[in-house]
Parts: sequence; C-alpha cells; structure tokens
Amino acid sequence: MGNELKNVCNEVVFESVFNNHAKDIKRFIFSKTRDTDLAEDIVQDTFVKIWEDCEKVVYDTIKSYLYTIANNLFLNIVKHNKVVDNHQQGYKKDSTNESPEFLLLEEEFLIKLEKTIENLPETQREVFLLNRIEKMKYKDIAEKLGISVKAVEKRMHGALLVLREKIGDV
Amino acid sequence: MDMKATNHDNDTFLAQWIEGELSDADFKKLVGDKEFSAYKKIRAGIDVYEQLQKPLDTTYTKVKEKIKRKKSTKTKIIPLYAKIAIAIAASIVLFFSATIFFKTNTVAYASNFGEQKSVLLQDGSEVLLNAKSLLKYNKKDWKYKREVFLDGEAFFKVTKGSTFKVVTNNGSITVLGTQFNINTNPDFFEVVCYQGKVKVHSNNKDFILTPNLSVRSTNGVFEEETLESLPPNPSWVNGESSFRRVPLKQVILALEKQFNIKFDTSKIDDSIIFTGSFDNTNLNVALASVFETVNIKYTILDKKILLSKEFNEI
Repeated sequence: MGNELKNVCNEVVFESVFNNHAKDIKRFIFSKTRDTDLAEDIVQDTFVKIWEDCEKVVYDTIKSYLYTIANNLFLNIVKHNKVVDNHQQGYKKDSTNESPEFLLLEEEFLIKLEKTIENLPETQREVFLLNRIEKMKYKDIAEKLGISVKAVEKRMHGALLVLREKIGDV
Repeated sequence: MDMKATNHDNDTFLAQWIEGELSDADFKKLVGDKEFSAYKKIRAGIDVYEQLQKPLDTTYTKVKEKIKRKKSTKTKIIPLYAKIAIAIAASIVLFFSATIFFKTNTVAYASNFGEQKSVLLQDGSEVLLNAKSLLKYNKKDWKYKREVFLDGEAFFKVTKGSTFKVVTNNGSITVLGTQFNINTNPDFFEVVCYQGKVKVHSNNKDFILTPNLSVRSTNGVFEEETLESLPPNPSWVNGESSFRRVPLKQVILALEKQFNIKFDTSKIDDSIIFTGSFDNTNLNVALASVFETVNIKYTILDKKILLSKEFNEI
C-alpha cells in the first residue's frame, strides 16, 4: 500500500502535488510571459496534462516533470504566437520611458517588492496580506484582530511607506 | 470627493488610496507627481503579487473541470457486463434528466418601466436593476459557476469568492469581489468600475478596469476613460439618470424605460451628443431638462411624445 501514497493517479496525491507546486509554477511562467492570466492558463493545463499522464509519472521526479510540461506549453504558445516575443522586446526598450497607462514591471522590481513584503514587520505584514491576498475589508480585519479600523489603516499605511522606502526611486 | 480628500489623516491616506477609497486624482494632489508615479508602480507590483500569491483553490477547481470535460470526450474500453449495467443506468438517468430538463432552472428578475429592483443572489452578492432591465441565471449551474445574464442597466456589488461573470449581448465582464455598473443596450455598452478590479471582454477585446475607470462602446467604437470624481453609487440609484457625452438616442431610450412612454424621433437627429441628467420621478421636469438644453421641441400626445426641431420665434 506504500505505493498508493506516491501514485499521482490518486486524487489526494494529485491535490497535494498541486498544492506543493502550483504557485511556483505560476511564478515561473509569469517570469517568462509577464502575463498573470496566461500564467494561470498554463498552470491549469500543466496539471491537466500531469493527470492525464499520471500512470507514467514517477512521483520523485514530479517537480522537474511539471516544470518541463509548463515550459513546453509556454514554448508552444510562443511558437503559435510570435507576438509574445515582440511584446517582450518592446517592453525592454520601453522600460526607461514609463507610460503611466501601461506599467510593465521589471523582474528585478518584482523580486525586490516580494522580498520587502515578506520582510515587513509582522503586524504590518499581517494586515497587508489579509487585505491584499485574503481580500478582507479594513473593518473585517479590525474585527478579526480586535483592534480599531484606524489602527488597521495605520498598519497598512506603514506597510506601504516601507515598500516605497525600500524600493527607492523607480 | 474633495471633501473626503481633505479629511484624510496623514498616517492612513495610503491605506485609503490602495483600497480605492481615495481617488488617484486626490492622491496625486496630496503627494505630487513624482511620488504618485512611484506609488502607482508599487500598486501595479502589488497587483501582480496578489495574482501570483493568491490561494489557488479556483485554479484547482478549473483543473478538475477541464479534466472532467476531457474525460467525457474520451472513449474507454469497457467490459460487456459493465456495458449492460451502464445501459440500464443510462436509461434511468435519461428518464430523470428528461424530467429535470423540462423543469426550467432559469431564475429571472425583470424590472418594469420606471422601476428599480434589488436582487440578492445566493452568495450574498447584490444587484440593483435599473428600469426595464433583465437579470437571469441558471439555478443549477450556480453552484459551479457564478454566472448571470444581463440586459439593460444594473449596479453590481459582488461578494468575494470565485470568479463572477456577467454575460451580456455586448460582451462579458468577469470579476472577483467588487462594485461596478453595466449599461448594455443594442448599440451602447458601458462598464464603470467602482471598487476592486473588473475584466471586460467584448468584441474580442479585453479591458482591465480598476476603480474610476470606465470603458464604453458606442456603435462598436471603444473608448476608455478615467472618471475624476466618482460618487459611491451610480446616480440612477438615487433617482437621477445622468449621462456623459452619450448619443441622444441613449438618453431617449432611458426616458422610455423610466416613464413607460414612446418617442417619435423621426424629425430630429438623435445622434447628437448629450451631457446632463434627468429626474426619474417627474416626467415634465425630466423632459424639460433634457430637451430644452439641446433645443428640441417636445409635444406630448397621449402616450407618444413627438420631438421636433425648435424654431425660434422672433
């Protein structure tokens, strides 16, 4: 029965593989496409493919298998659609004269931002994540944490000040 | 909105801005151009961070849906005895699904002339329908996908959760949790985002709207616009219909819907552009406020109103 635990055709195993890797795959594809919608689509298709091939997949090497599938799906899209390529070249040129309507974000900038968010003081980080990721209103966060709405807003304000300070001039 | 900006405290205004409670324009006034563009980039970065870090439950659901869809198109080798069992089961399912099929699963809400209707959906989302509008959805499918169909105009307050989709004859709008207004008529389509983030898909084009942004198409021509000051609700919610640079035809259509009347427009040019508003409660006041500003004469004949060019008497 030990094998059962590592059989990807088992839905429980499949779900845990998804939970362990989906976010990283999405981040990986986003770094190539700069398009969150496209990254989302590719993540979905990657796991559909893994499920279809579940009998052939060796559990221990699943991580590299996932990245390979995701990368192939990405390359297929590039092949089908040279526009992606042109778009990225255009973006490199444009990044110096920023247009406020269509801000394209450099990978470097995003990595810095992510790091700064991870390293925010705990009280600020908590409020920031509840608001931005869990989509909670300040009022609801205040209730959950047992503090005033004003205190929640102060923490959020503080978090954004830290981001601005750490990221410097962009 | 201006009042609000001056009321913002020094130690919380960034929190209000990121939540959309403080408009970009007011924020810019507060911090200056340079800081504004720096913060705008940070906000764009945070948006991407949100997209990349948000829980992937809906993604997993979609993966399962895709797998299910593929499975049903695949053929499999089934032993004979199973086939017989399936045949029996299938005939039973067929019997039941036939009875289910003929029972309608569509829930529809329609507002009458001059009427507003508030609809509370099962997930707690609120839809306020403007006059002579229709909202419908499939009760059975609702559990799997939040999808509604709209004809006319409505203001949506969507509770957070899985993707919420509004389908119209002019295109579709997908959102997470947010507030937005849709006006969809045969040759006019407008979506205004009040809170959160809205994705509009129309005519093979995609538009992402954040608060204060609107997109509209008049006779198939798309136009994106940032609205400087946006009240918390569309004005029609408070009994006033207002218009910004829309063809007069759309204003006339709105009057017809509010007051259950018909216009004869054969003698005027109804493509001229109108900006202004009318009161939804008093027909005479409404007619005066619309047509006097554009120099059009109106004559009330029973249930029809004849429009003609004003000729100035000396």
